[in-house]
Amino acid sequence: MSALVVAIARTADREAFALLFRHFAPRVKAFLMRSGLAANAAEELAQETLLTVWRKASYFDPARAAASTWIFTIARNLSIDLKRRERHMGTVDLDAVDEEADETSGETILMSAEREARVRAALSKLSEEQATIVRLSFFQEKPHSQIAQELGIPLGTAKSRVRLALSRLRTLLEDLK
Amino acid sequence: MSVHSHPGDETLLRFAAGTLPAGPALLVEIHLQGCPLCRTAVRRFEAVGGALLDAAEPAALAGDAFARTLAQLGSAPMSGGLTGGGARRDHLEAAFSRPPAAPRLPEGLLLPEGVRLPQPLTSRRIGSMIPVSPGVRMGRVHVPEDGQSNVFLFQIGPGRAIPQHTHAGTEYTHVICGGFSDPSGHYGAGDIVEADGDVEHSPRVDDDGTCICLAAFEGRLRFRGLLGVVLRPFL
Repeated sequence: MSALVVAIARTADREAFALLFRHFAPRVKAFLMRSGLAANAAEELAQETLLTVWRKASYFDPARAAASTWIFTIARNLSIDLKRRERHMGTVDLDAVDEEADETSGETILMSAEREARVRAALSKLSEEQATIVRLSFFQEKPHSQIAQELGIPLGTAKSRVRLALSRLRTLLEDLK
Repeated sequence: MSVHSHPGDETLLRFAAGTLPAGPALLVEIHLQGCPLCRTAVRRFEAVGGALLDAAEPAALAGDAFARTLAQLGSAPMSGGLTGGGARRDHLEAAFSRPPAAPRLPEGLLLPEGVRLPQPLTSRRIGSMIPVSPGVRMGRVHVPEDGQSNVFLFQIGPGRAIPQHTHAGTEYTHVICGGFSDPSGHYGAGDIVEADGDVEHSPRVDDDGTCICLAAFEGRLRFRGLLGVVLRPFL
């Protein structure tokens, strides 16, 4: 996937874009719907996310993040912007600190894939309950009450389980730079 | 700057996920500028976000979604490839054409020598620093993107205490300069302290200098006694 983004940056490769779109657009839509966006808005934002991938492909640095991570941050920033606009307020340019990526080698693309595999491996080591907690913490604005409800535990217990799950996740990701 | 006290894992995760409200997110953003450890932690959580995105069960798109996106692509991405400096130039131009952040200090704020407000703050409107108790002034930091947010700049004289208060949600405090202590420890410049809603405390500033700090509250803030009455219209 990282190689596809790099291909867009290098040669404006539309086939690479089509492959990225097919994989990520439906997932970005699903992701945004889980975090509370209506289907229509989620689809709009998913398209905008992939458009941004096309436009900003040269900012992608595979030494720094996997393509999925980069696309996640784009979708996140667009959805923060949308929420702020909905409150009739100004927007903040979250990309202001972005720097264009340096020259990309095959090696850095490999690193990017490896990083992705490591994160996936770490997540798979969490217990089912801990994985649920991490997921809900990502999607929910008020994760504690949602976690308490979903796991059928008191609110106070949910708080301490979140702490435990996240400290385990931190340990598992310790050597990820 | 050596940082001793960091945002909790959950706060960093919510920041990475984009679900932390704008007020606390502003404090975390300021903290990250001085804390490479937390920058790494946020990047790890973003990688978790990427993995969750990748593993998400795809949601069906409208039949013409791809065609419509394709129609908007234009001819080429922004910079014309990795070798071109186009995007970077755009970026620089944007940086220069942006109106210079006027570091206009809020009325009534006296910064100790050599101290500056951190960058994300200088572009925000901050209300006048109103004296709220002996040696203590506070001004509201405007966070227009979230009308619910309560962010305040505090200026507290040496040896003074922040009036005793409780809060419904979590309180985040970021120390800009000076230091203070509460029963949980001592905090200095660059530190972020999170206090749960059930904590009732009255942090006391070090004797050797003024403390400037930024506080964000989730949920309503309640000061005790007469001060609560005085501040009611202000909160």
